Amino acid sequence: MQLKPRARRQQLALAALALFGGSAAQAQSDLPATEGNQPAVIDTGFLWYQESNNRITDAEVIVSAHQPLGGDTAWNGRLTIDAVCGGSPIGALPSKSSQSFVTPTATSLNPPVVVTQTTTSASGGGGGLGVNLCTNPVQNQKYIVAPGQLPIDQSFHDQRIALSGGYEAPIGTQSKFSAGAALSHELDFFSTSINGLLSRDFNNRNTTLAAGLNLEADKISPVGGTPVPLSPYGAFEKGGNRNKNLQDALLGVTQVVTRRWITQANVSYEHSSGYQTDPYKIVTQVDALGNDAAGMYLYESRPQTRNRLALFWDNKYAFDNDVLQASYRRTQDSWGVHTDTFEMHYRLSLGDYGYFEPHAREYRQSAADFFRFFLFQTAAQPAYVSADPRLAAFTGQTFGLKYGLALGKDGEFDVRAERYTQRGAGPANPPPGLQGLDLYPGMQAYLLQVGLRFTF
Amino acid sequence: MAGARIPPIEERSISIEERPGGVQAACFLAMGCPCEILVASKDAAVALHWAQAGVAEAWRIERKFSRYRADSAVAACNASAGQAVVIDAETERLLDYAAHCHELSGGLFDITSGVLRGAWHFDGSDRLPSATAVEQLRARIGFSRLVRTRGTLTVPAGMEIDLGGIAKEYAVDRALEAMAALDQTPPAFLVNFGGDLRASGPLPAAPWKVGVEAPARGPVPALVLELGRGALATSGDTHRYLLREGKRYGHILDPRTGWPVENAPHSVTVAAATCIEAGTLSTIALLHGAAAESFLEELGVTYWCLR
Amino acid sequence: MQIDAPAVAGRSRMIPRLRLFAVVGAALLLGACGLVGVKPWERDLMAKPEMLLDAAPIDSAMDDHVYFSKEAASGGKGFGGGGCGCN
Repeated sequence: MQLKPRARRQQLALAALALFGGSAAQAQSDLPATEGNQPAVIDTGFLWYQESNNRITDAEVIVSAHQPLGGDTAWNGRLTIDAVCGGSPIGALPSKSSQSFVTPTATSLNPPVVVTQTTTSASGGGGGLGVNLCTNPVQNQKYIVAPGQLPIDQSFHDQRIALSGGYEAPIGTQSKFSAGAALSHELDFFSTSINGLLSRDFNNRNTTLAAGLNLEADKISPVGGTPVPLSPYGAFEKGGNRNKNLQDALLGVTQVVTRRWITQANVSYEHSSGYQTDPYKIVTQVDALGNDAAGMYLYESRPQTRNRLALFWDNKYAFDNDVLQASYRRTQDSWGVHTDTFEMHYRLSLGDYGYFEPHAREYRQSAADFFRFFLFQTAAQPAYVSADPRLAAFTGQTFGLKYGLALGKDGEFDVRAERYTQRGAGPANPPPGLQGLDLYPGMQAYLLQVGLRFTF
Repeated sequence: MAGARIPPIEERSISIEERPGGVQAACFLAMGCPCEILVASKDAAVALHWAQAGVAEAWRIERKFSRYRADSAVAACNASAGQAVVIDAETERLLDYAAHCHELSGGLFDITSGVLRGAWHFDGSDRLPSATAVEQLRARIGFSRLVRTRGTLTVPAGMEIDLGGIAKEYAVDRALEAMAALDQTPPAFLVNFGGDLRASGPLPAAPWKVGVEAPARGPVPALVLELGRGALATSGDTHRYLLREGKRYGHILDPRTGWPVENAPHSVTVAAATCIEAGTLSTIALLHGAAAESFLEELGVTYWCLR
Repeated sequence: MQIDAPAVAGRSRMIPRLRLFAVVGAALLLGACGLVGVKPWERDLMAKPEMLLDAAPIDSAMDDHVYFSKEAASGGKGFGGGGCGCN
């Protein structure tokens, strides 16, 4: 079957745009067999994300639109709304004795204590995963963490709304450019960015080279103020807003290798400078035996710059009806974090009954140079330190299954469920005071997403 | 609570613990939920002396009205297979009260709706009942089909009554009365059965501080209410549910349809003079789903809704 | 062609990876020189929407957000729609 020239150009142009995922590239649900009006596409999804053990709950909605405007130009837009809340680890370690902390808005270690003699509540209990609907967050509170438990701040909550849009157009017959901008607003974070990319086809459109740039400016306004890095937890001298800027450059190649196999490799480099510290995270200090004195916590501190190199290699292989996707990503950065990600999807076609798509992802991460589970009080204070479990060495495994079904000619419905587990280990030789404690409990999360796509 | 072994009343004990503000709490299990009676006293033995009358009332009501007990009055009515059963004055008064609630709520509050638990199992899974199963059970619901004469109740065959929705709050009021009757000048007490509570009067130095449980069910309350005298009851809808295709089906069932009420608040807390009023108002408000707040506003009730 | 796959992630050195990417890079350059590719009439399978490299952009966006919030690596695949304060 010979594709008409316009459709062929579309296919590879879309493949080139696919280098830049997200807002720039939109898939079309039905490539036209004839020239003529290109369909507009609206793509929506709703995600429910839930971690076990009273950790994070997140709900997110995305609505995307892609509209061709004739002459191979198109615009695209996306709206994302997201609400998250629940328990977030604060970086302090579990201890053999009980510990107390305060939520970020507190201005002393002893906020007016909520004294109650009793509680009124709905009866019944058990069942479900401890779903939290993210309403009525707690502020200015002290909370007690039982011995052996990982300190978690249950007052964490945030809402985000993000809008992005872009425009793409051809340059001559062999090249294309696209440009876009995005805005994202959260309770403690505001981000603006612009991006642009140029792509060019070679070799009868079997090869596409692309280059792009993304510039982002962020403003961080931590809830309760910005603590002085490495200051003691009880100091409560907090400053105002902070900024961070990022520049990303990306170079990529997409190659149709055989009739069945398309491959893409890209290299990207990101430089970020500004406030990179997590204002809510602290680090436990212990004495030589590993016992912590009450209240010996420091606010964490991360370097002001971070440079990251990423290499990404993606492949899709078409069987007669099924599709296999396999990718590998390697990142390395100036914080000493090296990561490897292996990912695979297999789309099993059921003909008129839709398709199943199992998914597996394996992720490995090394710890940041300045990551420490804890500090010895008597040792010299390092310039940078963080106990954020996300900067530790760990592995992550994801398994998921998606089911999709076409709705008539113009639509598709899909649903997917995934489970994501993080596993790691605590320090190799903890001092006696920390032995017997689970210093890296890991994490398990479930995702459930439903989506609808329509073409017009 | 289904599945957990609840010890019989004879094997249960009362423990005393201290609470802030010079209060002792007598804690025990009754009617399938954790109960406590708080007494304004520095002495555990004194507190126990006062609380015992309240504990005895709670266990008496559990024996008499629990549908789980074969020897209860409720079980006798439900096993009668359409025959008239003689009931005592207390049971009759509770049924009269249930009839008022049925009218006040336009049919939403219905003590015969317990049969729906045969189809709905709120275990957090995605197993919804079939429409037929729900319809078959709905055919067995209808408070107006109970036949009542003075001193008797007839529960038609296939139907059953369940006083679980009002027994706890009724028990709070009765326990308080029993304790107050012991002496001319009792100390202040607060009776809390499973989250529904009533205080006889304020503490010597301050009002009672009652926390309203937060959605996350952690130790930190969403709100703290100051209570002098009167009752607070909370009804809620997020701890037992089914989740299917991203939609959450809460456990409060509308007896008119047999399906969960939609858009109910996470919890409704109502203040009233007696616990039974507060309890039925909060339950009926929750049954109004999205219109919970407007229902309570119309009636001029003091309430707090968490959504 | 021999590809070195690292046995244990995080502890392998940079050099085997560079070799891997050099090999891939060379293959792709070969493509650019026209030695690898398909004729226009061989694009039937490639034209299917599910063969687009980002055929499920909503899934990618959701996953990117989750992994960005829970891991220390981010991006590498492309540019997203704005930053997020979740890391």
